[in-house]
Amino acid sequence: MTRKELQTLTAIEDDALFTFAQYDPEAAEKTGYSDYSYWKSTFRIFFKNKTALLLLAIMVLLVVFTVIQPYLPNQKDPTKIHIDPATGHQLRNHPPSKEFWFGTNVIGQDLWARIWSGTRTSLLIAIIVGIWEVVFGIFIGALWGYVRQLDALITEIYNVINNIPNTILLTLLAYIMRPSFKTMVIAMCLTGWLGMARFVRNQIVIIRDREYNLASRCLGTPTWRIITKNVLPYLVSVIVMRIALSIPGTIGWEVFLTYIGLGLPIETPSLGNLLNEGRRVMMSSHLRYQLIFPAVVLSIITVSFYVLGNAFADAADPRNHY
Amino acid sequence: MKSLKKMFPVLLILVMLFAGCTPKEEEGNGAEVRESEDYYGIYSGELTTINYLTTSSTAEFAIAANTIDCLVEYDNLGIVRPAMATEWTISDDGLVWTFTLREGQHWYTHDGTEYAEVTAQDWVDAMKYLLNPDNASATADIAYRVLKNGEKYFLGEIDDFDEVGVKALDKYTLEYTLEKPVPYFLSMLTYCPFMPANGQFLEEVGEKFGTDNEYLLYNGAYLFTVWEPQEMQVLEKNENYWDADKVYIKKIESKYNKEAATLAPEMFLRGEISGCDISTDLLDEWMNDPEKSKMVRPASTSFYSYFYAFNFDPRSVPEEYEPDNWKIAVNNINFRKALFHGLDRTAAVLTLDPYTPERMITNTITLKNFAAAGGKDYTEFDGLADIVARESFDPELAVEYRDKAKEELEGEATFPIKVMMPYNTSGTQWTNESQVVEQQLENLLGEDFIDIIPVGFPPSGFLNATRRAGNYCFQKCNWGPDYADPETYTDPWMPDGTYNWPERAFDPEPYNHYKSLVDQAKEEVLDLERRFELFAEAEAFLIDQAWVIPIHCGGGGYVATKLEPFTSPYAPFGIADLQYKGQVVMKEPIDTEEYMRRYEEWEQARKAALEEQAAKQGQ
Amino acid sequence: MLKYSIKRILQSIVTVFIVITVVFLLMRLLPVEGYYGERADKLTDAQKEAILRKHGLLDPWYVQLKNFYSSLFKGDLGNSIIYRRDVPVVDILKPKIPYSFGFGIASLILSLIIGLSMGIHMAREKGGFWDNVWSAFVVFINAVPAAVYLLFIQMYVTSITKLPILFTKGNFVSYILPTVSMSLGGAAGYAMWMRRYMVDELNKDYIKLARAKGMPNKDIMVSHVMRNAFVPMAQYLPSSVLLTISGSIYIESLYSIPGMGGLLVDVIQRQDNTLVQALVLIYSVLGIFGLFLGDILMAVFDPRIRLEKEGGAR
Repeated sequence: MTRKELQTLTAIEDDALFTFAQYDPEAAEKTGYSDYSYWKSTFRIFFKNKTALLLLAIMVLLVVFTVIQPYLPNQKDPTKIHIDPATGHQLRNHPPSKEFWFGTNVIGQDLWARIWSGTRTSLLIAIIVGIWEVVFGIFIGALWGYVRQLDALITEIYNVINNIPNTILLTLLAYIMRPSFKTMVIAMCLTGWLGMARFVRNQIVIIRDREYNLASRCLGTPTWRIITKNVLPYLVSVIVMRIALSIPGTIGWEVFLTYIGLGLPIETPSLGNLLNEGRRVMMSSHLRYQLIFPAVVLSIITVSFYVLGNAFADAADPRNHY
Repeated sequence: MKSLKKMFPVLLILVMLFAGCTPKEEEGNGAEVRESEDYYGIYSGELTTINYLTTSSTAEFAIAANTIDCLVEYDNLGIVRPAMATEWTISDDGLVWTFTLREGQHWYTHDGTEYAEVTAQDWVDAMKYLLNPDNASATADIAYRVLKNGEKYFLGEIDDFDEVGVKALDKYTLEYTLEKPVPYFLSMLTYCPFMPANGQFLEEVGEKFGTDNEYLLYNGAYLFTVWEPQEMQVLEKNENYWDADKVYIKKIESKYNKEAATLAPEMFLRGEISGCDISTDLLDEWMNDPEKSKMVRPASTSFYSYFYAFNFDPRSVPEEYEPDNWKIAVNNINFRKALFHGLDRTAAVLTLDPYTPERMITNTITLKNFAAAGGKDYTEFDGLADIVARESFDPELAVEYRDKAKEELEGEATFPIKVMMPYNTSGTQWTNESQVVEQQLENLLGEDFIDIIPVGFPPSGFLNATRRAGNYCFQKCNWGPDYADPETYTDPWMPDGTYNWPERAFDPEPYNHYKSLVDQAKEEVLDLERRFELFAEAEAFLIDQAWVIPIHCGGGGYVATKLEPFTSPYAPFGIADLQYKGQVVMKEPIDTEEYMRRYEEWEQARKAALEEQAAKQGQ
Repeated sequence: MLKYSIKRILQSIVTVFIVITVVFLLMRLLPVEGYYGERADKLTDAQKEAILRKHGLLDPWYVQLKNFYSSLFKGDLGNSIIYRRDVPVVDILKPKIPYSFGFGIASLILSLIIGLSMGIHMAREKGGFWDNVWSAFVVFINAVPAAVYLLFIQMYVTSITKLPILFTKGNFVSYILPTVSMSLGGAAGYAMWMRRYMVDELNKDYIKLARAKGMPNKDIMVSHVMRNAFVPMAQYLPSSVLLTISGSIYIESLYSIPGMGGLLVDVIQRQDNTLVQALVLIYSVLGIFGLFLGDILMAVFDPRIRLEKEGGAR
């Protein structure tokens, strides 16, 4: 360091540059306080994601429309069979037109009304099953992962239920209660929570022995508090994604059940049975609309939940907060 | 005994007729040796067994139909011809049937190795196997109801099989003794329970009999050469078959695919298979496409008869559907007739066959072309002829009956009358039909008159939960025949039936009348025409009482196939139409128009053949 | 670890017994009508009895259960009663398992290769062009129901490429399409999870430290990020490998592969008790064993995870 530089530095050491601050108790508080709020930050980041917002808007519109559709003017009954005045018989496979926006099906029912009615049914099933999955699955999963005394018991219960084929339960339930909306929901709830519980359990097993949890235990924090305050918040991002996927997952499950013949009777339209009906005419160019319309609605639901779930999981990760 | 004697010469002529027609039938169908391509098919249901003595599944009968030859067979016009037996005689009392077998016929293993000669003992051994309850045959009842001491042996009341009415008199002579005269016995012989099986082989393979293609012997037109379950089945022509000249298709190769209904039409268009079903969903596309419409034609219908039944004993119908109210309503004949004439059957059948529903619709329970006596089809006998000629759907008449019913039931029943209508949720067609019927009837008769409530039941235990338990008000039921006689179609209304219990109506008189007519007809075993008259009268009464509404026959639908129609053996029940013998794979498929033209030709040829047969009997 | 393993194995045996007993009893709750076949309406009572007796269904349930277990201990799984009547269950399953296992493993490997590399690529280029392209693919596979896109692939790809529509034994060209289309779903799933975990992991402080230290990006990826990201997947991997033998119902139905896909669903609906019991036995043994292996594997990948209960820990 040259003398000249030194001189410059000393010259800067001017009293004017540094003054003693007055003691201010309020400001002192501020250093120990941050206005950081987890959820506020999460939403702030979430709302920055334009694609997610667009999909959110589409999804909200779709859900709202699904709910209010039957109350709009000029809507048709999803089970009413329309008669062709020319022949006096069913208006079969009528292509999309001004009167029937999405055409009619093989016995002359309005596909537009059926798709929205089906979406209502499927979404309702998915939401009920989804809520159950979240509430019951996380509850069991948290206990399973964190409380070692329960590990053996819950593992046992999990293994037993998980290994009894769903088909047996569904066939039996359908036999006892007849195929219906209620049967479907009960059957799905019976086993739907398993995946979530196992998922949460595995996550917890991964982090339960981390140092900060060990520290909490040493300090005598009750188990329940450790689960809710230390462990679960850490998992919010992955759990949210899981929830977002569980809704399209349940709809997909319903499609699968319909495929193997355990779905809802087509008298109650659902996305599952509409797709299955449409699938049979996939190779007929004139009838393909019967597959495309329900497939598009289903895809919109799946894509929005999927992308929203991802975006929200990103936003919910505190490390992305700044 | 008088009628017996009257009938005997007729039977004898019949026998001689059958025996004598082998050489001269060359002039009709299949005169020249015809060229045929091989057949490539696709199937979606795998066989569970090929044990033809125990199975009751149509798909499994198909293997036996092509690989096992019976005593007699049907030709393509439905006339009985000799097969393994060359001639036969009937005793004076009509109880003992003696068959002379074709000599020099052999059993072959699946790879074509000769195993043993076909002898009369094979029919005896097969019957012994069938009537052994340990083998749990699902067709044993067909045989033991007619054979002397058959039922007793099955139930274990007698132990000695020699007492059962089937005997090998010598190597080539087989004798059946019946419990009582059975006019349709000959037709039963083409059915699986009367097929032969080699006794030594049965013993050799034991429990494995019919579990694989190597555990079965063949004496028929084809050998079951390859069976890879869930993969493929191959039938190859048995060159040593006695009638090999009339077996044109050399090889039938079928591949398994669970999604056949979806894939097969596309594979047919790409030329990978020779034929497939075209489902109702796809039919519009095929019919409206100029190219595809040339390849699609109707498939033949079956003899399953479907009818909507009114339940007179709704004992397990849940309270929410008001069974007591229904019971009051159903006992009113005008109420039943309102529905009978109100049901637009065409609308309902459109869900099954949207292009030619009239082909499916039936006005009677016993179907047309099922049985004939004296050259006259059963449905043309008195009583039934009028029913066949009219259309039951008559909106004005229905409304008239509705008003009458309303008046009569006023104060007794509450309107609208709830009608619980179960359906099986496994298929879409029935669900669709239920919705059509519900809306059509309610629109016509008014929602203030009836309230039809379709209720979906799962396929497992469907009939036990619904019809057999009496858990329905109005339901589509069906019945399939077991032998070529109208008697078979009366079973659902016999006292141990599980259909709709008209005997439990408030007024038992109509049922008693029906029952006495049927009993009388059943007694008439020798004069076929009289027998048919009586059955026709009973059936006409049943329909007139509107206990049921006949709606349509089974089978049908559409196919795209290179198989030439009307070349397969024809019989109103059993396995004849499953045979490839006599069939030809054409170069190109034919269209609906051509099919209908050939159908008319065939119908005339059959009529002529029946008349010719009757004329010979009448001489 | 050994003590823990032995305990887990013993426990698993108990679980398997509970599972098959429950399944056994559930199957007996289904209506017997299913055994009578097409002529159910015409059979006489004597015939119905003969059929039930032949299948051993006339005995009270506890006798049936006892018979089932006593033959099971002798290593006899019994004969099928409906699916292929009187054929030993073992003979039915033996030819089927290799098909499902072969296709399952091939497509699992393919989907891991495709999925993981796709996921890694996406995570590294987060927000970039390729991230969006692959995301679109993943979204598409997830959004369109498998029943639809698989049929679509089969129909259009075969018509363009002239690949055979149906699977034929020995014709290797016919193996391509089923394997590839079977791996798509898995690939999308793996890619999605890989991306998610990698992104999570990349945000962690130790990675930032490693970067600050100047550690090469490649080393960070391989020895830190991927290894940690792999831990949650490790839990599922053994079950996925073992349960490939259950086959894929869609693929096997569409391409006529004579494997195990949909067999369980089929035999349950047809009430073939012996086959249901055998399949449930096999699947539950594999499933439970897979879970156990997964736990072990997870502990191997992440030494911080301890499975056995130790003194002091709750």
